[in-house]
Amino acid sequence: MTISAAEASEQVRRKDIRDRWLLSAPALILIAVAGVGPLLIVVLYSFLAPGNYGDVKWQFSTDAWFSVLFTRDIFDDTLSIADAHLSIFWRSIKLAIATTGLCVAFGFPTAYFIATRPSHNRQIWLFLITIPFWTNMLIRAFAIQEVIRNEGIVNTLLMKLGLIAAPIPMMFSDFAILLGMTYVFLPLMVLPLYASIEKLDFRLIEAAYDLYASRWNVLFRVIVPLVKPGLIAGAILVFIPALSSYVIPRVLGGGKNLMIGNLIELQFGQGRNWPLGASLSVTLVIIVLVAMLYYVKNASKSGGAHG
Amino acid sequence: MHQQPAGTTRGGDIDMQNVVKDFGHFRAVDNVSLKIASNEFFTLLGPSGCGKTTLLRMLAGFEMPTGGKILLDKADISLLPPNRRPINTVFQNYALFPHMTVAENIGFGLKMLGRPKAEIEKVTQDMLRLVQLEARGKHLVTQLSGGQQQRVALARALAPQPKVLLLDEPLSALDLKLRKSMQIELKRLQMETGITFVFVTHDQEEALTMSDRIAVMSEGKVRQVGAPDAIYDRPADRFVADFIGETNFLAADVVSVNGNVARVRLASGKEIAARFAEGTQPSGKVTVVIRPEHARAAAVSAEADLKGTIQTIVYLGTDTHIHAVLEDGTHFTVRQQNSRSGPCGFSTGEQIGIHMSDDVAQILRD
Repeated sequence: MTISAAEASEQVRRKDIRDRWLLSAPALILIAVAGVGPLLIVVLYSFLAPGNYGDVKWQFSTDAWFSVLFTRDIFDDTLSIADAHLSIFWRSIKLAIATTGLCVAFGFPTAYFIATRPSHNRQIWLFLITIPFWTNMLIRAFAIQEVIRNEGIVNTLLMKLGLIAAPIPMMFSDFAILLGMTYVFLPLMVLPLYASIEKLDFRLIEAAYDLYASRWNVLFRVIVPLVKPGLIAGAILVFIPALSSYVIPRVLGGGKNLMIGNLIELQFGQGRNWPLGASLSVTLVIIVLVAMLYYVKNASKSGGAHG
Repeated sequence: MHQQPAGTTRGGDIDMQNVVKDFGHFRAVDNVSLKIASNEFFTLLGPSGCGKTTLLRMLAGFEMPTGGKILLDKADISLLPPNRRPINTVFQNYALFPHMTVAENIGFGLKMLGRPKAEIEKVTQDMLRLVQLEARGKHLVTQLSGGQQQRVALARALAPQPKVLLLDEPLSALDLKLRKSMQIELKRLQMETGITFVFVTHDQEEALTMSDRIAVMSEGKVRQVGAPDAIYDRPADRFVADFIGETNFLAADVVSVNGNVARVRLASGKEIAARFAEGTQPSGKVTVVIRPEHARAAAVSAEADLKGTIQTIVYLGTDTHIHAVLEDGTHFTVRQQNSRSGPCGFSTGEQIGIHMSDDVAQILRD
């Protein structure tokens, strides 16, 4: 039996498509079962009523979504904006942006330094960068606590040296949270940045210098535009976990300096309001999604022909 | 700072004094002194690793000399960074900014110099016209062919009107035909712009075609400086003779010296006239060089200067290379022009006599 060329190429095309689905199937199944499924459950729970001792009552309710934004006064039933929630969201966004900024500030020189070492030394530097990953984040948070608490290493040292009379309070503040998050997420910025800088053609930097560019112009007109993919990847990898951070603010921020993650945990624990927790979680997902869409759109716009 | 209309006397003469560059224990450039005149097309020629690129990078400012001085129009620029020298470079692989358009690449230098937008716009257009890429200004450089990228690199380096243009093997990535036309193009640009061109290449033919003067380098040292014909006809030493063009080396004994011509006796017993470099006094055993095109093959006769057996015959279109082995085992190549009646008329294994016209042999300096 013979087949025509068109039929043959059609068969090849079908096989290609089948192979593509087959190869991506494991990832797709994992995302569906472990990612999309639970997310749908969270969305479902956010539209149910809270049970008396946690859990949910199976009746439709928008109360949870309502109380994400508003609070109803217990006595006179008047509505007001849920300041507490909004300020925690706003604080979380600010801290996540600041963490991303600090990670760029510390991560870029680090990545640049590693990428410009002789190739056999780079592996050692990269290895050193990954060492913090060997320890659990909780342990690392407590380790930072040990460094900055009133009786910690820094304060003890400064007092011994006679530079300060009383300990500088650093724990349970935004400073402590920022320090912790920057420390914990820094490798996530360094690694993609390194991958981008390593691919950079350093002759382009020489060319820019040759054409009268100052150091500043070399950095912002040549290096930064060319390593943008790494910068974007790093920013996404840092911003998302920073925004939904739970352990760091819990250990270093104390009870007063909550972030979204702590607020959500509170609803599932002491608050016994699972639907509210669920709706706060969905809100967080939406914030991340909007931020990413804005970011990607912006990046692709300015990543084009501009110098 | 260094802007003058093209064509006027605009400086650009370079004076390198005892320049040394060490990388660790390796001496890349060894005590080089060179003077390059304003608006000269000067070529640094040598095999890879001879230090020519390092020398160029010191002119550009990417490397600082370990010792010695580099003067530009009598001012010491040895330690100035690249962005403060009125010198631009055309890089070997062009090093065009991939995130910019052709026009943005060309205008980059002027933009960094803080020139007004209107001037940048005008010069960019002029440059696009100069390199015949008027229609490509808005394209990304990644959309251009190799030859076009080469021309953008040239335009980008010329746009700020430097006093000196450095070219680091800029033609090596192009195919032969494009390379030939770019050689003519470069020569034209150098004459039109009045800019001093310093060209680095390992291609001796390229060097001979374009240069006003050539410096032949090896192992960090300058072996000979001179006009292309001087380098080709009167190589200073064995390295230069061997590197530039094809050469036959023959052992000989000096018989007599008269003025600047010596009589030397070849291994065949025949005596020929040989020139030697001024200031030297050849005597005893010497090496003479004879270019293949200065010898002629004929049937064996008593008058022949050398006798040999043909080993291979290579037909090259315009001429034929006859590789022969002489009686004493030395290899000797004769290059004969082909006539309408066909190639040389000899065949492999045949005995031939080799004749040399007077005054073609050159005694090498030891």
